[in-house]
Amino acid sequence: MFETDSHEANLLARASLDHCVKCTICETQCPVMAVTPAFSGPKYVGPQAERYRHGLSVDHSLDYCSSCGTCTLVCPQGVKIAELNSVARAAMKKDHMPLRDRIISRTTLMGTFGDPVAPIANAVLGFAPARWAVEQVVGIHRDAAMPTFRTQTFTSWWKKHTSPTPTRGKVVYFHGCAGQYFEVETSIKAVEVLERLGFEVLVPKQGCCGLAAQSNGLFDTARDWVTKLSHQLGVEPGTPIVAASASCVGMLKHEAREIMGVEDPALIDVGTRIRDLCEFLLELSEAGELNLDFHPIEMTVPYHAPCQLKGQGMGKPAIDVLRLIPGLTVIDAQATCCGIAGTYGLKKEKYAVGQAVGKPLFDKVKEVNPELAVCDTETCRWQIAKSTGATVVHPIWLIHKSIFGE
Amino acid sequence: MKNLSADIVVIGGGSTGVGVLRDCAMRGYSAILVERADLAQGTSARFHGLLHSGGRYVVSDHESARECAEENAIVSRIQPQAVELTGGLFVVTPQDDPAFGDKFLAGAQSAGVWVEEITPGTALRQEPRLNPGITRAFRVKDGTVDGWQLAWSAIASAKEHGAQVLTYHRVTQIHSADGAVNGVSATDLRTGEDVRIACSFVLNCAGPWAGDIARAAGCSPVEVVPGRGVMVAMAHRLVNTVVNRCIVPADGDILVPVHTVCVIGTTDHKVSDPDHLEIPRNEVQQMLDAGEVLIPGFRQARALHAWAGARPLIKDDRVSASDTRHMSRGMAIIDHSGRDSLRGLLTIGGGKLTTYRLMAQHMVDFMEEQTGNVHPCTTADEMCPGGEKGHNYLITHRLKDREADRLESPIICECELMNRKMFTDLLKAQPNSSMDDWRRQLRIGMGPCQGGFCSARVAGIAHEESAVDADRATGLLKLFLEHRWIGLWPLLHGDQVRQAALDQWMLHGTLDLDHVPSSKGVEPEVTKPKEPLVVPASDEGKKSTTEVKEGNND
Amino acid sequence: MTDTIVIGGGLAGLAAAIRLAQAGQSVTLLQYGVGGLQLGQGTVDVLGYAPELVSDPFAGLDAYVGGHKGHPYSLFSPDEIKASVDWFAGLLPDLLVPGDGQNHRVPTALGAMRPTYIVQSSMHVPADVTSVAIVGLRQLKDFYPKMCAENLAKTSGWATSPYWLDFPARAGGVDSTATSYATDLDDPDTLARFAAALKKAIGNEDAVGLPAILGLRNPQVWSVLAEAVGKPVFEIHLGPPGIPGMRLTHELTQEALRLGVRVILGSKVIGFESEGGRISGVLHQQAGRDKVYKADNFVYAGGGFESGSLAMDSYGVVTETLFGLPLAMGQGDSGPLPSHEDLITGDYWADQGLFLAGLAVDSAMKPLDGKTAVYDNLHVAGGILAGAIRWSEKSGDGIAIASAVRAADAILDAQSAKQPRNEGKE
Repeated sequence: MFETDSHEANLLARASLDHCVKCTICETQCPVMAVTPAFSGPKYVGPQAERYRHGLSVDHSLDYCSSCGTCTLVCPQGVKIAELNSVARAAMKKDHMPLRDRIISRTTLMGTFGDPVAPIANAVLGFAPARWAVEQVVGIHRDAAMPTFRTQTFTSWWKKHTSPTPTRGKVVYFHGCAGQYFEVETSIKAVEVLERLGFEVLVPKQGCCGLAAQSNGLFDTARDWVTKLSHQLGVEPGTPIVAASASCVGMLKHEAREIMGVEDPALIDVGTRIRDLCEFLLELSEAGELNLDFHPIEMTVPYHAPCQLKGQGMGKPAIDVLRLIPGLTVIDAQATCCGIAGTYGLKKEKYAVGQAVGKPLFDKVKEVNPELAVCDTETCRWQIAKSTGATVVHPIWLIHKSIFGE
Repeated sequence: MKNLSADIVVIGGGSTGVGVLRDCAMRGYSAILVERADLAQGTSARFHGLLHSGGRYVVSDHESARECAEENAIVSRIQPQAVELTGGLFVVTPQDDPAFGDKFLAGAQSAGVWVEEITPGTALRQEPRLNPGITRAFRVKDGTVDGWQLAWSAIASAKEHGAQVLTYHRVTQIHSADGAVNGVSATDLRTGEDVRIACSFVLNCAGPWAGDIARAAGCSPVEVVPGRGVMVAMAHRLVNTVVNRCIVPADGDILVPVHTVCVIGTTDHKVSDPDHLEIPRNEVQQMLDAGEVLIPGFRQARALHAWAGARPLIKDDRVSASDTRHMSRGMAIIDHSGRDSLRGLLTIGGGKLTTYRLMAQHMVDFMEEQTGNVHPCTTADEMCPGGEKGHNYLITHRLKDREADRLESPIICECELMNRKMFTDLLKAQPNSSMDDWRRQLRIGMGPCQGGFCSARVAGIAHEESAVDADRATGLLKLFLEHRWIGLWPLLHGDQVRQAALDQWMLHGTLDLDHVPSSKGVEPEVTKPKEPLVVPASDEGKKSTTEVKEGNND
Repeated sequence: MTDTIVIGGGLAGLAAAIRLAQAGQSVTLLQYGVGGLQLGQGTVDVLGYAPELVSDPFAGLDAYVGGHKGHPYSLFSPDEIKASVDWFAGLLPDLLVPGDGQNHRVPTALGAMRPTYIVQSSMHVPADVTSVAIVGLRQLKDFYPKMCAENLAKTSGWATSPYWLDFPARAGGVDSTATSYATDLDDPDTLARFAAALKKAIGNEDAVGLPAILGLRNPQVWSVLAEAVGKPVFEIHLGPPGIPGMRLTHELTQEALRLGVRVILGSKVIGFESEGGRISGVLHQQAGRDKVYKADNFVYAGGGFESGSLAMDSYGVVTETLFGLPLAMGQGDSGPLPSHEDLITGDYWADQGLFLAGLAVDSAMKPLDGKTAVYDNLHVAGGILAGAIRWSEKSGDGIAIASAVRAADAILDAQSAKQPRNEGKE
């Protein structure tokens, strides 16, 4: 007899397996199943295997699931396939979490550690023997895309920054770990565009959303972090919260609740107020309130919508916003996944799978514009850049350029 | 005409018959079992799957409770692969009298049945979907058992001790001379060949059909009152522990997690013909209501399949014949030497699957009293084949097995995780079998899609492996789908409607199964022609009939 | 902003969205998941059995509709159905073989010869073929060539010979899906290896039948194979996933995107707002919040029971799950439905009345309550229409396309009645 434990054994995801009619739609769209027989596929490890799970974790191959969430997105019956897998993986990893999964998922720790000595950290991570050593110790593949640390964090820029006088309401800016340590320019451009629109931008002290911990099955850590963050971001009641990291937005909007059962009122409040940056701009545009002058950019760029953005079920707002820029042609790559899936493609045993998953996207990028590609999430940008050699930017870079003309 | 001989012929391949066969064989008798269909195809598989701890009887029947507790431990030990040690709970719901819990505890103590009261909070942590309003909860040692696995491993043991088994053989006559049984005639329903078995003793273990067998021996009628019970399987295990309502035993008071499903049971209505059991919609509704009391939201969960089984109760004058639940659950043995002046024939009735081994022991003891031979019963001491590892069944077994061999053999039935090798091994072992036989062995088509995806694959493989020709393979496929529908249409609602619609699209729309030629009569006709049914006044509306030629225990 | 919102990404939804976008409307397509079109065989059925085999689906249509009161085809003339289906075939000239007024017969994995009106080029079997090699793949569990061949010998009149090919889609794979095979065969090198193995395996039959796995994105896989083996090659229908259905879904979606349709995947439409007898917006259940999408017109193509647009609860109550529209058993019927006990019977081979249930509509495909349209700007199309058991008679695609075209045209007509159509609108 096993004692079942709280949320993991219990809630919506498990109930949703009743809706599965075995139709195979998830299997046809799963990017991992498409490239390796080592993964039995979302239908198998999700609603099928779940009927056999009780207490013992016996199907470790489910770890080949990259948690990209495509299966849940495409399921016409409402089965929370990816969520089922995430919960099963958390149960599996409770006992034997590899060191690697712990290290990768502590995004802020990694950032904090790397920051003061960024050039050295970059040199170490970029230097082959060191990467080889890291791979041996923690199982990160030596060719995998790793973030580049910046010498200046976003908050150190923000402290020195002088804001213009606001002409409309407030927004809270959520920079996320990447926007703080690795993708500082993206945060800066986002704030400058929001301020150009006349908003008073607020940047409360903020930690990590816990997504990396969650996708590696470290639920307890992730629950603590996302709850703490929700209280930090929720400081101004009713104020929109805007973020440039689409995956962190997804965590706050729904993943923390649906996968880990976090029911903190602060999270629920923040989840309804938070907007992806392009989603926010599109809403303004639809309301006729995007009072910006877009200057032409004569260029064709490929765009990749990250899995965790698609998973929010709002379409691809970046495409609609970028189409406001005269001269700019945006080609939707229509790829399923870039293969990084958060931290999946970093891992030694998954690296080749991740590269194969991303190949159709990489080919599309090389075909459309080998110099520049656009994508809303930082880990995907690192993966595409590493795998294609293109510069990959957040859509705000093009919007910023179109407005400020830099 | 084939001639065989044996000391004893056992009639009926349900749990009682296989237990008796094994006991006879282990005492050194030559014995042959004759069954008109497949093993454990009647009542022994059309139940909810509960291996009683005795808890259910601690208030009403101490003796029965004690026997259950003892036999539960024995069966779990000698046939571990058929038994899952789920544990059980008795819960007092908001609709029930908490004071009954005191009677329950006191009864358990005097019957010697292990019971432990726990707080409602502890029970809810163990089974989070339970009604949060429960006021008391008790742990018991209920388990769940697969009636087919139980029968097959007992048969394997009997065969090791020299017994023979004739399935798909219908008994046509029991012969006697000078007031003593001396043989049994039967017909092989697949080949039409007649078989005559010379013997000196016949043990009638035909359950609800025992009256027919007594008639074949020319005895005066043995009145069997089949009690029909309807059960509903839900698509996954809403609980992982057996959950009983702590009340005087009633309809719909047990929820049993067995294999990948959980089963709510059961109703109880007297019927006249165990070959044609209906699944009345109002009884399905009654089960859904009962489930709702134990698990709020039960009606929104996916109901997979329904079936009906017939309790084999021999009529007992102490209670009214229409109230079969309160008839004694204990076994009854009819000695035909006194009753009908025919020596060498015993008929057994009643009992329950949990105590099948003990019932067999009593029956063979009774026979030996008459014949004067005395051998010790050793059936409780020896492990049945297949259980040597001593591990009880776990819900995770098939998932674990497929994790090990998923890169070696493709998975054919995805719901029940049956791979191609499991199926082709079975075809080699039992080449002349039907798709329903394969289902009972391997759980093909018993999951959520009810054969929508796997049945055509199974037909294709069977044909490929030359077990059957294309006509027969297509015929088996069609018959299998017809049989699945018997347990589907009376409960069709919610998610199962979506599944039924998709299955129709695939099999009839895309594959155009309706226009593929096939042979008819692919399975032997084992049931009697349908007789007019006596329908209780309360059972108005549309009825489904379970043909007993195929089992429906999901 | 948005002229029309289409709900549902199946055949009817995509056809309606394309038709509207072709006329210059701005269209948003909301789909909960990927549409069920890819579970089917990627052909266009009009009428296959009545219940005897139908060869010209349009010739007998009036008589068939006359004998099936309330059939969705009673809303259209045979000429209109033919025109709609021809328009549809014209959208994808590289993929579809246009109908010439006669049904094709295409083999299925079980060995039936299924009647359908429009096939994909990869399914076409030349008329002079008399002997066929039926080839299965060891690692594909959904196709058994011996069973298919033996049954086809009886249903098609061909002399058939079964063959196995040992050709895993992925190295080490034992359980390859049709999708894996199809994506692999898109690759020219794999296709060349496959062609060589196939040529070696078969005998001197006139043609080769293969399970429907011949390429997902590359529409020329079948012709490359045919050239390599020197004889016609055709596809045989499998259960899901239907590779030809995936091709059709993909091509239609690309066409919709090319015409500027905004496709939003993955959230469910869970409610609506109405005002003065019109739908003003629908409520879309996105992550974190529900968003209202507003439009002038709405096309609801959510499918039937298999998609959950129609549902029956545990008490036997049947409902349309989004707008709560009145249900009927056929066109011209004003409900209420018979008791659920009369909708489902124990005869497995009988058509179940439940699957006739759906919506009755007016000539503009507006759902009716009695004789009155429920909402002035809500049109429906496809599987949700009452009155046909589509899988039995093989009529689902014709109903979907004809109703989608009518719904779209009704919207466009109403628009042009109000204002001259702006042809240049993008």
